[in-house]
Amino acid sequence: MVLCHHCCSICKNNSLRGLAKIIRSKTNPLTTGDFSKIMAEKKFYLTEQGLEKIKKEYQDLKNLKLAKTEGEIPKIWHSEDINPEYLSFREDLSFLETRIAELENILKNVELIKPPPKERQNIVNLGATVLIDIDGEIDEFRLVGTLDADPSNHKISNESPIGQALLGKRVGEMVIIKTPIVNHSCKITKIKYNKI
Amino acid sequence: MKGIRKFKIDTKELSGKEKVLFKKLILVAKLIAPLYLKQKNDKYPGANFYPYDATKEEIEKAAKKNPAILSPYTFVERDKTGKLIAIPYHLKFKKELKPVAELLVEAAKLSDNKNFSSYLKSQAHSLLNGNYGESEIIWLKAEPSKFGFVIGPIERYLDKFFFKKCAYQAWVGFLDEERTKEAEKFKNMILTGRRKILSGSEKAEILKLGIRIDRTVIFSGLIADFMFTGTNLPNDVKLMEKHGSKLTIFESSLELKFKEDHLPIFKAVFDKKFQKSYSKEDLYKGSLRCILLHEISHSLIRYRDAEERLENLFPVFDELYAYILGIKSCGTLFLKGAMNQKELEAILIMHICRNFTWWLDSIRNPSVKHYAVGAAIAQDFFLKEGAMKEKGGISWPNFTKLFICINELSRLLEYHLAVGSYEEAKEFVEEYSSFNVFKRFSSQLTKISKLK
Repeated sequence: MVLCHHCCSICKNNSLRGLAKIIRSKTNPLTTGDFSKIMAEKKFYLTEQGLEKIKKEYQDLKNLKLAKTEGEIPKIWHSEDINPEYLSFREDLSFLETRIAELENILKNVELIKPPPKERQNIVNLGATVLIDIDGEIDEFRLVGTLDADPSNHKISNESPIGQALLGKRVGEMVIIKTPIVNHSCKITKIKYNKI
Repeated sequence: MKGIRKFKIDTKELSGKEKVLFKKLILVAKLIAPLYLKQKNDKYPGANFYPYDATKEEIEKAAKKNPAILSPYTFVERDKTGKLIAIPYHLKFKKELKPVAELLVEAAKLSDNKNFSSYLKSQAHSLLNGNYGESEIIWLKAEPSKFGFVIGPIERYLDKFFFKKCAYQAWVGFLDEERTKEAEKFKNMILTGRRKILSGSEKAEILKLGIRIDRTVIFSGLIADFMFTGTNLPNDVKLMEKHGSKLTIFESSLELKFKEDHLPIFKAVFDKKFQKSYSKEDLYKGSLRCILLHEISHSLIRYRDAEERLENLFPVFDELYAYILGIKSCGTLFLKGAMNQKELEAILIMHICRNFTWWLDSIRNPSVKHYAVGAAIAQDFFLKEGAMKEKGGISWPNFTKLFICINELSRLLEYHLAVGSYEEAKEFVEEYSSFNVFKRFSSQLTKISKLK
């Protein structure tokens, strides 16, 4: 078994076996299935914090790839059959390369989310923290790009149905959110732009 | 064995010492089933908690002079003169509870986790002295331990007279850390908003909600009979407000219910073409989320006066509303992009299947009828509003209409639980809870074992 001795966060406590699984879980929800969609997008809206996270992941994976290819590569053949360790090595490498390409594309097309000028801060834009009244519930969240989205921490994607409906709206406006299954209306009660 | 349900689980991750402790806890749990069986009696609305010839009015009158009559932890009996008297459980079952407490103390000595050990000792004391609050507080305050273990008189569902008397139960399991982390994240997504409160209601604010998903090995007492897939304790609102509540999902019983009920019902009552859009995995996840949402919602719908106001109808509204509010909050998760459409649909489908399950369960076990009544109310709404189309026992749901029904039902249930009167609740139940909404599917449901 090949072990990585570089101290990146991904491989610190893991052997390279099953690396593909680790990368999949670390990069969730951005799986390889989403790759083509991401490549098709032009801009990736990120907060500074989000950008740092992406940069760190990119560097860690580059280090990991280097360690993997510099280490002992399993032989292709095991007697007359293809060596399963070699197949696993190829699979891991392929996942690494795909994710690295994804991250490169993001870094190339990134656009940092910045607060709008003061006169436009009464309009919902990326980075805005919005207080809404939706169907008997008061909710507050920040609108971020898809890569920064984390609904359990009040960060909602600009591409979500509610994100799309709120963008460009002002305080006091009633907003209709229509989807094939759930339809709601909500009222914007506050918009604020904190340090992003 | 009656009053006990065992599940096969893999215990290889437990150390030798932990296995000894685990076995001891299982032994303790088994001893509680006979006490439950002495409380249960489906022939009488008051089960064996009250004399069979005592009327509600007589009991209420006696309770005015002696509040212990309606204590959650007493049997009501007649003395030689015919007067109603209260006998505390811990005295009535003194002989049976002594070995239970002894085993608990032995188990406490085997635990390396100080909190868990003191919880077990406290449980032993509470069973013998009838002061259950103390051990409940220790349980609520403790960080999640490896073992999931609860024992005592807890659930009130057997008392159909007043919904007061607690029936004995116990469970033993251990923590599924991975699933618990996922559930914690899901809980945080649900609890981001603040619900508006109806004016005049006595809403209780439950500020802390612990969560764990357990691989359960044994159910004993009421929980074995009801086959819960999740629970949110304590039941005492005052205790909840002060110390928060803890939610447990029982993976073993959920897997069994899914395999034996939810999935066969899905295959029996939904159109074949419609079925093809959902994999078994989609549906299992839907079922897990259904119960998770239900238990989380229990913490959001506590009203200090609801039990007194709605009496024996309280569990109908409390259980149904927890399901409906949970599903409703998923609509917001979908709008926020935290859940995709298929995941949301799977939750709705599994809710419908769970409604059928409660009805089927109530045929076998009348004690769970309040769940079936709630399920019938929801089903009635879905059918009348065209959210479920049915022909010859086969149906096809309309998800958009289902969501409209969920919102409408949510509004009505909130009213009844928050401020409604007993008479209004009774009228509502009588109008919407006919079991015909399930019976019309009988031709398809005969394939399911419980109806054979």
